[in-house]
Amino acid sequence: MTAADPCDWCEEVLQPYLDRELTDAEMREAESHLDSCSYCRKRYRFEEGLRRYVRQAALEPMAPALKQRLSELRLEL
Amino acid sequence: MSETSPEEARRLAEGARERVRFEEEALALADQVYRVARGVSRSKEEAEDLMQEAYARAFRSWRSYTPGTNLRAWLLRILTNLNIDRGRRAQRAPDQTPLEESDYFLYNRLEAATGETEEDRVLQRLSQDHVAEALASVPHDFRDVVVLVDIGDFSYADAAQILDIPIGTVMSRLHRGRRILKKELAELAVDA
Repeated sequence: MTAADPCDWCEEVLQPYLDRELTDAEMREAESHLDSCSYCRKRYRFEEGLRRYVRQAALEPMAPALKQRLSELRLEL
Repeated sequence: MSETSPEEARRLAEGARERVRFEEEALALADQVYRVARGVSRSKEEAEDLMQEAYARAFRSWRSYTPGTNLRAWLLRILTNLNIDRGRRAQRAPDQTPLEESDYFLYNRLEAATGETEEDRVLQRLSQDHVAEALASVPHDFRDVVVLVDIGDFSYADAAQILDIPIGTVMSRLHRGRRILKKELAELAVDA
């Protein structure tokens, strides 16, 4: 079980911050909050690392045979 | 049969050039499109079928693409629509299970299980297989949004356009989808 987050900011702003979906003013506010809140900084590092993991899991390259099959789907001139 | 006029021949040649350009640009994006296809599919084979179906459709309907607009988003719109048409939406109803825990319960659970407090060390408890398996367990509607934003690196607005849903729905599905993903990861990495 988990205790409630000690900082509400994390819950609301960290995800859109990582998604680069905040306005410039909100970004500055977020950065200034991260500078001053060690709890959020820790969560930020974890969330950022987790996203890297998720992205890497999808890095399995496409099989060369599939690339060839896609190329063969091109319409004939 | 009447002979083709020079003007008609020029028009046909220009059309053929445009089509070849379109096909080459689409094929150059195949690796990026595949990453999303793999993320929304449960297996490599399913992702490969989906890619072939999507590219066959894209090549047939190349005239409906407006040059200069986002071709990757256009291709992914075809791919995600096909994926929905294939009936995966019906495979599992959207998860209505309440997710009461905070957004950080995965971190807290991993921290408790590893006894580590350094973020990188905590993450080492997760393997790539865990991520792939957890992603496959996220219901379709939520997974599509998570894959487009987290793996495809699309903005909320682009994801909304690709999936033809309002931006608010993208945000709520993303929020819920990420939580479901973390819940699945916690189960795989800590509870197993």
